Amino acid sequence: MDDKMSNIKYNISEALELPKDLILDLPKIVMIGNIQINISNHKGIVEYTQEVLRVNSSIGIIKISGSDMELKTILSEEIIVKGNIEKVEIIS
Amino acid sequence: MGTIKAWNFLRGYVIIRVEGLTLERFLNLAASNNIYLWDINRVDYTLLEMKVTIRGFRELKEIVKKVGCRVELVEKKGLPFFIYGLRQRKMLGFGFIIFFILVFYLSSLIWHIEIIGNESVSTQEILESLEKENIKKGIIKYRLDTDYIEYKLLMEYDIFSYTSAEVQGTKLTIEVKERDLPPDLIDEDTPCNIVAIKKGIIEKVIARNGKAVVKKGDVVEKGQTLITGIISDEYSDIQMYVHAEGEVLAKTSYFYQVEEPIEKTIKVETGEVFERRELKVGDRGLQFIRGDIPFDDYVEEVREVRLFNLDIDLPIKILVHEYKELEPKIVKQNVELIKDSNHMKAVEEINKQLPAEAKIISKDVKHYVRDNKVITHVLIEVLEDIGEKRLLN
Repeated sequence: MDDKMSNIKYNISEALELPKDLILDLPKIVMIGNIQINISNHKGIVEYTQEVLRVNSSIGIIKISGSDMELKTILSEEIIVKGNIEKVEIIS
Repeated sequence: MGTIKAWNFLRGYVIIRVEGLTLERFLNLAASNNIYLWDINRVDYTLLEMKVTIRGFRELKEIVKKVGCRVELVEKKGLPFFIYGLRQRKMLGFGFIIFFILVFYLSSLIWHIEIIGNESVSTQEILESLEKENIKKGIIKYRLDTDYIEYKLLMEYDIFSYTSAEVQGTKLTIEVKERDLPPDLIDEDTPCNIVAIKKGIIEKVIARNGKAVVKKGDVVEKGQTLITGIISDEYSDIQMYVHAEGEVLAKTSYFYQVEEPIEKTIKVETGEVFERRELKVGDRGLQFIRGDIPFDDYVEEVREVRLFNLDIDLPIKILVHEYKELEPKIVKQNVELIKDSNHMKAVEEINKQLPAEAKIISKDVKHYVRDNKVITHVLIEVLEDIGEKRLLN
């Protein structure tokens, strides 16, 4: 049922060229080089240290590794991370 | 990004340190409660440093209770705290207010009175008459009635045809225009004489009123009565006083003498040049002196060396002072040329003295050569009205 539903949503967003992150409730991860990462549509922070950041989302946990990482802002819909980013993993 | 920083500075924010074990939960709760946190840094495993607005800081207290961590305030930043700090330093604020009051007060005074356009009436005199009305340096400009000043000056001095008073900043500018006063006219009913204003030989007397007392060929001196306003009857002793009127044309002469030496010493450049350089920055100059000028007599010429071939006025200039040696040299002039130029000069001088309506009768030019000089005498005879009305005494 859920699969069917998301399939329809996907097709609609594809047909109407609507942003999929909104229709399908997916996180949107934007990287600027290796110095900044913006994660919108997240579901909370699981872990934060200067080396590791784990963020919960609808597709699982997004794990960002690096060094000297700093949270520039935290809002209920967006997280901006600054620092030296080395790895982005999605653990579902 | 800069605007956000400025906005945060204006609203004020605090840097806090949160200590606890479940710091991620703290962050998530803050985010879901719409508390804006920024520049979050994990200092230690149990320590988090971040910035939060003043309002956010108050709202954080609830979350802190829920999560069970400790919050420490590190630093207060921004304008609200700065103002609060100022409020503690009362004397500073007091001085600030006094400063503004002083500036405002001093700039509302008249510090300078300038008077433009007066020629025959001295500035001092106008200032003194203004002072009588309590208009002087140091008065408050808002109490000044410029219309009144204009009116007063116009009333007090007949010679002013126009006055304007204007306050510009702390300066009171009074502009006046003087009129050319006509000579004192004698009323047509007042008895008067006509007297000579200069020496001359009478050519023609037309007495329209009164009695002519001089005739053609008479030599009159300055101040002599020409047409009298006192008419006496031959048969009675009664004297009548009338307003004498008429024209008295007389031959008058104007003389001017010009001297010009034939031999003249003029200074000639010898070709010897001594140079000095000067570096000029703004108004200050720095001269590079290389000994004294070795000439007794010289002319100075200043020439600018352009650093770059640009058409702009740079504040840095290099000036070259050139001192050119001069040597006196005796030059013998042409006598005929001197005569001509003397003649011209003399006529020009006489023309300045001649009244506009005078008619030239004759001109006599004589040249003498004496003591190595050409002396030119020019005598011009003219016909002019020499009469002037004067009250009977």
